[in-house]
Amino acid sequence: MKETPLSNCERRFLLRAIEEKKRLDGRQTYDYRNIKITFGTDYGCCIVELGKTRVLGQVSCELVSPKLNRATEGILFFNLELSQMAAPAFEPGRQSDLLVKLNRLLERCLRNSKCIDTESLCVVAGEKVWQIRVDLHLLNHDGNIIDAASIAAIVALCHFRRPDVSVQGDEVTLYTPEERDPVPLSIHHMPICVSFAFFQQGTYLLVDPNEREERVMDGLLVIAMNKHREICTIQSSGGIMLLKDQVLRCSKIAGVKVMEITELIQKALENDQKVRKEGGKFGFAESIANQRITAFKMEKAPIDTSDVEEKAEEIISEAEPPSEVVSKPVLWTPGTAQIGEGIENSWGDLEDSEKEDDDEGGSDEAIILDSIKMDTGVGISNIGSQDAPIVLSDSEEEEMIILEPDKNPKKIRTQTISATQEKAPSKKSVKKRKKKRATN
Amino acid sequence: MAMEMRLPVPRKPVSESLGRETKKHLVVPGDTITTDTGFMRGHGTYMGEEKLIASVAGPVERVNKLICVKALKTRYNGEVGDIVVGRITEVQQKRWKVETNSRLDSVLLLSSMNLPGGELRRRSAEDELAMRGFLQEGDLISAEVQAVFSDGAVSLHTRSLKYGKLGQGVLVQVPPSLVKRQKTHFHDLPCGASVILGNNGFIWIYPTPEHKEEDAGGFIANLEPVSLADREVISRLRNCIVSLVTQRMLLYDTSILYCYEASLPHQIKDILKPEVMEEIVMETRQRLLEQEG
Repeated sequence: MKETPLSNCERRFLLRAIEEKKRLDGRQTYDYRNIKITFGTDYGCCIVELGKTRVLGQVSCELVSPKLNRATEGILFFNLELSQMAAPAFEPGRQSDLLVKLNRLLERCLRNSKCIDTESLCVVAGEKVWQIRVDLHLLNHDGNIIDAASIAAIVALCHFRRPDVSVQGDEVTLYTPEERDPVPLSIHHMPICVSFAFFQQGTYLLVDPNEREERVMDGLLVIAMNKHREICTIQSSGGIMLLKDQVLRCSKIAGVKVMEITELIQKALENDQKVRKEGGKFGFAESIANQRITAFKMEKAPIDTSDVEEKAEEIISEAEPPSEVVSKPVLWTPGTAQIGEGIENSWGDLEDSEKEDDDEGGSDEAIILDSIKMDTGVGISNIGSQDAPIVLSDSEEEEMIILEPDKNPKKIRTQTISATQEKAPSKKSVKKRKKKRATN
Repeated sequence: MAMEMRLPVPRKPVSESLGRETKKHLVVPGDTITTDTGFMRGHGTYMGEEKLIASVAGPVERVNKLICVKALKTRYNGEVGDIVVGRITEVQQKRWKVETNSRLDSVLLLSSMNLPGGELRRRSAEDELAMRGFLQEGDLISAEVQAVFSDGAVSLHTRSLKYGKLGQGVLVQVPPSLVKRQKTHFHDLPCGASVILGNNGFIWIYPTPEHKEEDAGGFIANLEPVSLADREVISRLRNCIVSLVTQRMLLYDTSILYCYEASLPHQIKDILKPEVMEEIVMETRQRLLEQEG
């Protein structure tokens, strides 16, 4: 599918927001999104999540004959694929430009920097060497693929264990993982790419652009660095003209970010190592939390709340008093209270009034439970505001169920319990007809 | 600032519209429509194992011996004479590419576009170079479908003064199957705003211009600030259209107007709440039924 074009309004909005140093998700200019690294059961398999961008990395190895001009070195092979589930615009034939660019960048970052010792991958010079293959799949595209991919690649390589080999004279023995523990690759350093997006011809810059920001950016600068502050690769695309001091500043920022990310990677690798040694459960089933569709949770984003108090006071002082005053609850009998009056029945002739009742009952948020498995005949209508305590004593029924919005109903047999409901009745429930829950 | 929190509620199925005589035969991809081999198969069906099987989801339509399935949610399929609202995505040599929510980008040829001032002359090389002055990437236009190519791509034209670049307003994107085919798609609603119901599902709501500008031909975009009253009317219309779409009602000027009137007692932002949506759409349905018979 072709990408839906961004409307002019949205483009202008994003650019104006960036001019005012505001980002859509509340981050600061130099902030990265949350990075999460999870490992699979196999060695060399990992998923890296940079915000919502997800990349899956898998390393595998094979014994092959070496290249003719490099007889004593192993072979490295990198491959990044943009899966169709990453974005609607990714189709089997369509993504060539972006794909080529990302692959080239990754190769330069990992191969030319010599982060992996290829000499150690040699088994028999001129005949057998290890071919290490890194496959990266983009699972979800929310901006900044290159950073996530580079982190995934280096983490997968650090996590990977190749089978042990021993050479005795002419004999080469390849040990299975059961016979001898697999051996990690020898990695000199960890190069990590950091992306900088530029807007308005280089006036404003953002680190770790997300998908919307990438659409409106003018140009992109990618710096690959390791924690020893050595630059491995630098690439500027988009045709923007950068000043010398801008590039220097970006490299300093990249240095700081790379330190943080490298620490995170070390910690993640150590954790996984510990879990495997102790014999605990590892793998994606454990590390990727169950995402239930009914639990809608946003990750916490750090937001500057220093001026919130003044703003709130301003608003309160200027705002008019609320128009509708909620009347005090009237306590009919212990356990039954009423707030306000129900409105007149405005439906006229009802053909199926029962169905109406049920429908209304189902859509009331204050009391969610559909199947009313109550044994009692207590009519509980909109119960109390914050001030009125509910006295549940002297009930004729034996069992009484208190319905609270979030918790399960608890059956109470005891007498005086004053429970204060935290949730104030919404205006909407006052307008609705008074509800009587009768046992059916 | 008021804040409202709600818990997730089970979504209610869109109720069948009251008073439909025959229940429609709905199928999903893979469903058998009929095992009778006497029928000719139309769009949305295929023959497999001696049975006629549906390949899209929607109601089955039968005309004598032809069986076809009309898909509920598709991209826009162009027909000659349709009014569409589209967004310019590319400026190419002698033509513009317009995005109209169809499978392929639509094409607006330079020769199908009205020159400012309504001149009729052969397009020269200077016109070609000045193309970007007329329409740029990101602009919205209203146009009519002139022809449909063999691959399904649509060729547009703006050869009338009522078509052209759109100025200030609100765009609502709805499924194309919900826009009713009518004689005219440009409506001046009595509530104070005008609406263009594009057949491709793009609906454009804009403030009614005071006087019709005959000479401009739709190129000068009116960028004067829109008054607050107009803005409120437009926002309310937009929310009404969104609520009609969630309840899968056909969109045409009468239904939008009735929905607008039904929503007047509520605040504009309340219209998007599920209960209020159901209420006003139910009222709209009743009024439409009364009006029909």
